[in-house]
Amino acid sequence: MGDHNNNVNLPPGFRFCPTDEELVVHFLHRKVALLPCHPDVIPDLDLYPYDPWELDGKALGEDNKWYFYSRKTQNRVTSNGYWKPLGVEEAVIGRSGNKKVGTKKYLVFYVGEAPSGLKTNWTLHEFHLSDSSSTANSSTSSSSSSRSSKRRAPKKTDTSKWVVCRVYERDEDDDGAAELSCLDEVFLSLDDLDEISLPN
Amino acid sequence: MPESNMSISVNGQSQVPPGFRFHPTEEELLQYYLKKKVSNLRIDLDVIRDVDLNKLEPWDIQEKCRIGTTPQNDWYFFSHKDKKYPTGTRTNRATAAGFWKATGRDKVIYSNGKRIGMRKTLVFYKGRAPHGQKSDWIMHEYRLDDNTIDTNSSAIMVEMTPEEGWVVCRIFKKKNHHKTLDSPVMSSVTVSTATRSNNNQLMMFDSGMNEEGALEQIFQYAGRRGPNNNCKEEENNNNNNNNHHNTRILPPFDGGSTGMSMGMGMSMSMSMNMNGTTVNSDYNNERFLKLPSLESPNSTSSQNCYQVPLGTDPNNFGFSHRDDHDHQTETITNWATLDRLVASQLNGISTDQASRQLVCFTSTITSNINPDHDRNHDNHHDQMSTALRSSSSSSNKPYHATQDYRYSDEMELWNTFARSSSSLSSSDPICHVSNAQL
Repeated sequence: MGDHNNNVNLPPGFRFCPTDEELVVHFLHRKVALLPCHPDVIPDLDLYPYDPWELDGKALGEDNKWYFYSRKTQNRVTSNGYWKPLGVEEAVIGRSGNKKVGTKKYLVFYVGEAPSGLKTNWTLHEFHLSDSSSTANSSTSSSSSSRSSKRRAPKKTDTSKWVVCRVYERDEDDDGAAELSCLDEVFLSLDDLDEISLPN
Repeated sequence: MPESNMSISVNGQSQVPPGFRFHPTEEELLQYYLKKKVSNLRIDLDVIRDVDLNKLEPWDIQEKCRIGTTPQNDWYFFSHKDKKYPTGTRTNRATAAGFWKATGRDKVIYSNGKRIGMRKTLVFYKGRAPHGQKSDWIMHEYRLDDNTIDTNSSAIMVEMTPEEGWVVCRIFKKKNHHKTLDSPVMSSVTVSTATRSNNNQLMMFDSGMNEEGALEQIFQYAGRRGPNNNCKEEENNNNNNNNHHNTRILPPFDGGSTGMSMGMGMSMSMSMNMNGTTVNSDYNNERFLKLPSLESPNSTSSQNCYQVPLGTDPNNFGFSHRDDHDHQTETITNWATLDRLVASQLNGISTDQASRQLVCFTSTITSNINPDHDRNHDNHHDQMSTALRSSSSSSNKPYHATQDYRYSDEMELWNTFARSSSSLSSSDPICHVSNAQL
């Protein structure tokens, strides 16, 4: 955990936990634009053949999520299965406005051979730069990179070539660290009994 | 500023590279940050700031404890706990707009199997106690164990009690999965889970089981509540015997603040299953005996309402259930869950899980003395003794002498348990249960 942060000198407690927007704007965009990423933490696994459980140590793993760059491809087949698109697409909106900066696609891992594979809880978020925004985006992305982006923008890099991926194993009762446990929720609702009549 | 220094805080704004968030584990908070704080060691990156809880509202803390410019879901700070009164043990956590109120039981934080500290959960209420309005702001307050501090730093810590000194806190806004409750009386375990699927309810209790005696904690917590919650309801029930209104949920929780009544509530649940009768969660007033108020003449309206179940069925450990089937069904789902757990135990299904459950349940019988927290336990024993006397001498409810005997016998059992509960651990649950069944 955190081993990949070797070039990031942060005190304990900092974790790679990028928002969708950060993945697109800070990482994918810079990758596509051939800009240096700092910190350069996300590895490029190209057209990786790895099963999701093999990603540990290869992709950037943090908090049971794994991040990597990959080439865009239509069928992601691994040694033991395949990623099947859910058919769901979501727009990734930039924080600074309502501008769409990218697209997020959902895929689910199936063990076995398509189309008769066995569905698993492994989920993949595949982030694409949105075609329309790719050029516009390069001039309006994060302020620190916009100047250099502009210079390189005329190169008209192939925005469709790269994606950045987030892989994790879905866990139904995992609500995130900042949430209350079920037990806490029970205690909380028991507190409501106090509110009915509390003389003191 | 050179990029290599990006982790240094500038103008109070911490510079964190994109994609990184401050998501410390509880262990990191205690072992690294709080330990450094109490030892007066410098913390590299000034991510956790000092906050005077009495001066800042949660929404202000949010501003003050911002890390970088990225959106945050939780905020961290150090706070120095001060006593509310010089002589008391309570911490003053009132702000201008409201106050922080502790909820639940403190959770032990472990590091490599070793206990290092505790976590207290608090909720922010707007307004003034006792009329505060609960907000969605939650605080986890972490403190180091005294011994941890002692071994790692010197001098300053000597006199420190858990209610004083530095703590590290995290605040966050509770996500509201649940729809708004239409009635505050409905707020109970049932309601908190009502909007989840049945499946999840089960999972909730199951997973709760795997936490250290979750049910025990719940019962204990419920039992700690003031004995004041159901007077109106009870009144209602007495006046309208046929009015099975939906608000009557979780009677064992309602029964008052003593572990005694919790124990009874439990026995009732057990007995229902052992008899193979339909699970019926409506413990109606026929089994409850109103007792005179103990003290506090100025608050008789809300404190004089102790409910003591009376037994009429020898098969039921001296307690009876009502065979009243036309009740709300919502309640049953949840109590059925609990009942099922108990039943599985009593029916001799001895899986690991089951025995863990047993520990949970049996220890509720004995675990009513709970010295922690700011809550008031002083009159437990008084209540129990009174309950005892009343239950054995009262004549306004029909029951047989033998049952009466059994009943008070059992009361004494509990009473004994209660008085010596600190020495009775849940490590020997079987013994307790068999006692209770005698």
